[in-house]
Amino acid sequence: MRTLFIAFDPTLIGSQTLILTILGYCIVLLTLSAMAFLMVRFHAIRDYMRTRRLKKETPPAAAAPLKVVMTGEENAAIAAALYLFFSELHDQEKYVMTIKKVSRTYSPWSSKFYNIFNVMKHW
Amino acid sequence: MKLLLINNLFQGIWADTGFSNLYWDNGIMILVGISLIVLAIKFNLKPILLIPLAVGIVIGNIPFMHSTPYPLGIYAEGSILHYLFFGVLKGIYPALIFLGLGAMVDLSPMIANPKLIILGAAAQVGILVTFLGAIILGFPIAHSASIAIIGGADGNTAIFLTSQLAAGLGNLPAAAKVQGLIGPVAIAAYLYMALVPVIQPPIMKLLTTKKERLIRMKPQRTVSRNEKIAFPLVFLLLTAFVAPASLPLLGMFFFGNILKESGLTKQLAGTVSTVMIDILVILIGITVGASTQADVFLKWESILIFVLGALSFMVATAGGIIFAKVMNIFLKKENQINPLIGAAGVAAVPDSARIAHEMGQKEDSTNHLISHAMAPNIAGIIGSAVTAGLFLAFIL
Repeated sequence: MRTLFIAFDPTLIGSQTLILTILGYCIVLLTLSAMAFLMVRFHAIRDYMRTRRLKKETPPAAAAPLKVVMTGEENAAIAAALYLFFSELHDQEKYVMTIKKVSRTYSPWSSKFYNIFNVMKHW
Repeated sequence: MKLLLINNLFQGIWADTGFSNLYWDNGIMILVGISLIVLAIKFNLKPILLIPLAVGIVIGNIPFMHSTPYPLGIYAEGSILHYLFFGVLKGIYPALIFLGLGAMVDLSPMIANPKLIILGAAAQVGILVTFLGAIILGFPIAHSASIAIIGGADGNTAIFLTSQLAAGLGNLPAAAKVQGLIGPVAIAAYLYMALVPVIQPPIMKLLTTKKERLIRMKPQRTVSRNEKIAFPLVFLLLTAFVAPASLPLLGMFFFGNILKESGLTKQLAGTVSTVMIDILVILIGITVGASTQADVFLKWESILIFVLGALSFMVATAGGIIFAKVMNIFLKKENQINPLIGAAGVAAVPDSARIAHEMGQKEDSTNHLISHAMAPNIAGIIGSAVTAGLFLAFIL
């Protein structure tokens, strides 16, 4: 089939090309899925090892579950501390130094020249 | 007699200038280059990439006399530009850029939430569709693969694949034709990388509902240093065994990442991720830009490549979003994925992740998606490199 500018010919895709394309895509999908699977399995193995290590390390006497009761006030205090900490955190400084200009209204009382002149006169 | 001599001298000087060799096509390309510089500066469209590329387009299209006794053009063997272009023709720059990229990225989001990796694979559907589309339009298989890889939104992978295909075809006439594709394919890929903020948001908005865009994802867990060192090695082995042809890219990528994560080679990681990658971006940008000499670039084929590249990029974006939505059907409510991050499955790092984050913030300014979106984004780099390796294995 022909249009004004472009020739479309779906028969140009042979069955071999189609199979290879789909196969290629499946390989990419499977490779990345295998990566995800490996990571998930790794997490499971890591959790299992950690639990086993903790079990070994914990003496039988201390096996009784530790019940931590926290009041609402304690939670609020921790949250406030975290909020303050993170809001004050600077990842990167701007490296720009600025000098704030402060304009002061002139008066004989704040005049450097006038004061020096007066001191000189006293001498 | 004297007058004739002076006249001949002036004629010779005039014939040597760009003015006497100027054709309308050179003028168009110079205007394209200038427009890209203006676009990059005015709209802040990835200027770090677009400015070298655009200046390269201007440089490559300065008209000159082709019969000069000294080689001048980028395609003239022995010219300085040709030597600089060597790194593109042989796929050296992309491999080295991947080294720098590896030293820049953090794999933690991917390790913390492995299921997001699959979104990077889903976005590769753009490459698949465009590959078949290019074949239907009459492009040979090698050309189709080069054009389709634009959908990976990674100019380096596109240059690598095209150069390796040309090298693999050896002395066949097709090799020169594939080599001629490097310019248009790379320009299209880099241009679409720069245009991520323009192309992706409408597709993201069209394919997602407000409710989906508001989905908050579970905060990621902390990833240990051992995991950060072990996983690049595991990924390297896995991907290199599946697609050894992609080893120059993935080998360098994971090598760079190990340099960063080992914590003992900070100096090397610092160099490859800053100074070296900057030098390479300058070289690749200027030479790829200069390769768009009007007589080689301004063809009907180039326009088709740009159209197909845009299609590939859009399908890849849509593929990632739709796949995220499909995954949500099977996931528990607390593990739902915000489909916006599916669009980050294209490998434009970190722009597409940033766009996903910004789109999420437009709906809810307290919803931070950037770290989640980085996982499919990095998986997209790996996915498109594996796809390039498979193309090489299948075609050559």
